[in-house]
Amino acid sequence: MNDRRSAARSALRASQVLVLLAILFSFLFPVPLGAETQVIYEGDSIYNHIQIRQDAQERCMLFGRYSDKRQTCLDMAKPDLSVLEYTGMMFVGFLFHPETKDVALIGLGGGYVPTVFNLHLPDVRLDTVEIDPLVYTLAQKYFSLRTTAKHTVTINDGRQYLKKTDRRYDQIWVDAFNTDYIPIHMTTREFLQLAKTKLTRYGIVLQNVHNSNKLFDAQVTTYRTVFSHVYIFNGQYSGNSIIVGADNPLFVPPKFQLSAKRRPRIGLIDLAAEAGKYVPEPNIMPVAVLTDDFNPANLLLHQDH
Amino acid sequence: MAIVYVTLMGLLVLFGAAVMSLEILSSNLMSPYFGGSIYIWGSIISSFMIHFSVGYVAGGYLCKKTERVYPLLFLLIFASAWVMFIPKIHPLAGEFVSARIADVRYGSLVAMNIIFFLPVTIMAMVSPYIIGILSLHRKTSGLSAGLVLFISTLGSFLGTNATAFYLINLFPVSTIVQGMGAGCLIFSGFALLLGIDKRLCYR
Repeated sequence: MNDRRSAARSALRASQVLVLLAILFSFLFPVPLGAETQVIYEGDSIYNHIQIRQDAQERCMLFGRYSDKRQTCLDMAKPDLSVLEYTGMMFVGFLFHPETKDVALIGLGGGYVPTVFNLHLPDVRLDTVEIDPLVYTLAQKYFSLRTTAKHTVTINDGRQYLKKTDRRYDQIWVDAFNTDYIPIHMTTREFLQLAKTKLTRYGIVLQNVHNSNKLFDAQVTTYRTVFSHVYIFNGQYSGNSIIVGADNPLFVPPKFQLSAKRRPRIGLIDLAAEAGKYVPEPNIMPVAVLTDDFNPANLLLHQDH
Repeated sequence: MAIVYVTLMGLLVLFGAAVMSLEILSSNLMSPYFGGSIYIWGSIISSFMIHFSVGYVAGGYLCKKTERVYPLLFLLIFASAWVMFIPKIHPLAGEFVSARIADVRYGSLVAMNIIFFLPVTIMAMVSPYIIGILSLHRKTSGLSAGLVLFISTLGSFLGTNATAFYLINLFPVSTIVQGMGAGCLIFSGFALLLGIDKRLCYR
């Protein structure tokens, strides 16, 4: 009896030691995510927890610890390929305004948009505004982001930048949200009104949003109070949508075949195909207009569309 | 006598809640003018720290000087009325300062102090003041300084969570601020009418 008990105790002790060793080992050797996915960087800034993962050719910058919803991916062999659907979709802005000279982008991510501009739109001014200096550093280090006189990156809050700038833009692209950090002062009516004052005559504001929650409905509703024309493009393979707000669009979706003739592609992005994602009658629920005074964005974020 | 203690506890909880609620809401008030960066939070938190520090020493000093509760209550009525006007003050202060100070760190610090210095400093006087008043009645008071701070900080906890988790999703910021100011005004007025100084036996 005693022998069996002491044998059991030894077995238990041995298994405890093994578990402890396994835990310690896992800190030394990070568990691989899949057959080929590797985490090549992981770190924290004041604003974000950032991971950079590589899976064969594809390198992604992920924000947030618990969900992979927000990320930016580049194909390192073909950096202007739109790996994620929404990054290519944003270029529908060029169908609204083919002769765009100046674009402001809020939210850098891995730098896919500046990369496309570098390769295919060298004469179009792109001012990118990013709040997190770590994102900029990582984009330079891991995604070969380069700045030029025409393609700049400023570290600043997007709304602050727009408030202080004297420039006027043909397009303002807002891609500032991630799962952890919704800068709610950039979801409001007052923000859109401010952005509108920084547009040129035929300028548009364009925003990337997730369409799976009520915040999407609230944002569309808010756009509709600021712009006389609001257009929605739904992703076909992703839960992303693009909202476009314009008072004087040069071209509207029914006329996109005309603007697509002028500029059918931007690098590997097929603008005609992206135009096909236009939704003439989107299903939008009447939710609150978001203002600086009243903004339940964080609550709406967790309610399904 | 019980009503005196309940009222004093009420003041501790209410103004403990009010200062924290204002701190949570101040980021909503500041971000349209100064952005949503870490600098803003630095300004908010450090400003409130200044207000608390000055309030603590002012509260202790005024209590020692007057040995009466009513001066504090008059100040709290003034502070509560100020809070009710914050929704009107803050856009003016925000625009004025952000147009003149380019650096958002110093700009937000200045704006925070213009808007919040007076009311928050006064509200921070409550704990040390009440500790001082109670210590004048060592025989009749069962409350220690630790208990006073516990009650006030409990109020702060409630104010923080109620604001951040619930109120901000249910009501406009301006409504929350004005409602809170009104509530503080009414309670301070009630405490004044109660005549606490007469009810407490002063040596």
